[in-house]
Amino acid sequence: MAGAAGRGGCHTIRGAQIKELLQSKRNVLFDCDGVIWNGETAVTGAPEVVRLLKQQGKRVFFVTNNCTRPRENYVQKFSRLGFTDVAEEDIFSSAYCSAAYLRDVARVQGKVFVIGCYGVQKELLNAGVTMVEEDDDGPDVSIYDCPLDPDVKAVLVGYDEKFNFLKLAKACCYLRNSECLFLATDPDPWHPLRGGRVTPGSGSLTAALETASNRKATVIGKPGRFMFECIAGQFNLDPEQSLMVGDRLETDVLFGTNCGLSTMLTLTGVSTLKEAEEYKGSDSPEKKDSVPDYVVESITDFLEALEE
Amino acid sequence: MAVSKCARLSGASIGDLLDSVDSVLFDCDGVIWRGDQAIPGAPEVINSLKKGGKRVFFVTNNSTKTRKMYADKLGKLGFNAREDEVFGTAYCSAVYLKTVCKLDGKVYLIGSNAMRQELETMGIQAVGVGPDHISGVQNDWANVPLDPEVKAVLVGFDEHFSYAKLNRALQYLCNPECQFVGTNTDTRLPLEGDKAVPGTGCLLKAVETAAQRQAQVVGKPSSFMFKCVASQFVLDPNKCLMVGDRLDTDIMLGSSCGLKTLLTLTGVSTIADVEAHQRSGCPIRQEMVPDYYVDSIAEILPALQG
Repeated sequence: MAGAAGRGGCHTIRGAQIKELLQSKRNVLFDCDGVIWNGETAVTGAPEVVRLLKQQGKRVFFVTNNCTRPRENYVQKFSRLGFTDVAEEDIFSSAYCSAAYLRDVARVQGKVFVIGCYGVQKELLNAGVTMVEEDDDGPDVSIYDCPLDPDVKAVLVGYDEKFNFLKLAKACCYLRNSECLFLATDPDPWHPLRGGRVTPGSGSLTAALETASNRKATVIGKPGRFMFECIAGQFNLDPEQSLMVGDRLETDVLFGTNCGLSTMLTLTGVSTLKEAEEYKGSDSPEKKDSVPDYVVESITDFLEALEE
Repeated sequence: MAVSKCARLSGASIGDLLDSVDSVLFDCDGVIWRGDQAIPGAPEVINSLKKGGKRVFFVTNNSTKTRKMYADKLGKLGFNAREDEVFGTAYCSAVYLKTVCKLDGKVYLIGSNAMRQELETMGIQAVGVGPDHISGVQNDWANVPLDPEVKAVLVGFDEHFSYAKLNRALQYLCNPECQFVGTNTDTRLPLEGDKAVPGTGCLLKAVETAAQRQAQVVGKPSSFMFKCVASQFVLDPNKCLMVGDRLDTDIMLGSSCGLKTLLTLTGVSTIADVEAHQRSGCPIRQEMVPDYYVDSIAEILPALQG
């Protein structure tokens, strides 16, 4: 069944079907929030699933739009939650990939004006990308008259709990120069927190800046392809041998489809089976591409397939 | 109805147009003033219109001033104007919340003190004005204390806009019963000397994106601004002239409400913009083509003083 399933079939699978699917894949890419953990709690059995996959010779990667932590902090979180063998190289966050893009693809010679949290800034620092100094603003600086740094070649926007009008105004000024790059870490309009609550995401800040500048940002994170290109560039992945497991249809599943991967929706996060089935019946190509090949209740279900 | 031809208003046609209307509605920024300076000739035009028996109204999307503050500014710049002739979005949003939303409760306000004052005048209490400093770690964001009496979120121009405010608005808007209103969608707020800062439209877009909800928008081109004026003064749309500098707000409002429309070139839109709309086959874009245009409203002065 698993091998014969067509693209976007939305088939719920367990046990032997999962086993058959995993046998045909060399690489498994997991989203994090809502897939392997929720907040500070690992999804039941998730650490064991990762361990078993690696033991059975699979390559396991983590692909997350969450830009709030640098990779070194993600390693600590993995460890804290009981994942014993996850290394920095296995982790691909939108912050890490944005820095990689600026350094390796855009090859920015100059500074980047960053609207972003610690996670974003640390990754830029790690990548050797120069940022405009923050907090150089004296008492005379206001939204009506802010001095600009002439070396700014790019604007990067991501989740920023210190976002304010002044940052928006400054970024808008920099973006008046059409040569100045406009990047966003990810498109997520909101991020889920514990208990079904939400908080504004990078996407909402990007929307403000796109409206102000009348320009569209180049978005690094899922469902865009760049994060996969980042991984494939370092590890030589064959899309046909790869499975993407996520919890958000329009982010994770669409990403998988865009990159030619098999896709699996797990129901421990944002999207529901009902939504997936609605998308299946939709006329919109984007919605159709957001329908997963497979569905599992939770990645706990992998244990049965892996432990035999 | 013939497609608006955007005829240049001059000579005898000025007098003919003015004779055909009894009320003139003016946008402010880019029409009668720029920043803190009157457009040369504008005060004389307004004052002459009134002397000649026309009614004059001021209709602006700018939410940073109360009607009284606008009246003060108008007076300072030499315009004879009364407070009740001014319709800014701070005032009109308060009217909207009261009469259309029928709000019975408080408003979480992302906006100015002027907006808060206009709401209070309407008997509506606003919370949230001013800086809102972040505190705590990410998990606390969803647990910010919410005032149970808040029944609506209103977004206007706010230089204290911040992630904390965006978050608070989102938390309130997670309740589908909570109303969601925006003053306007202008992407830039014009300042003097051709400077501009990001406008309310940007802040509103951030909130709409986070909440995945669309706001009810009060300002031009929404017809509510005209309805607000018409509810207080008896107006016959056929005898009204809308004078503005933006095709997508002023002229669009005029067209959709059945008013005559006059574009002045002292502000945002250009003749090239008009021609682009004219050439397009799109009916909505045709609504943005004015009946007439002038380089500046000062051009109608000779017809008034003759």
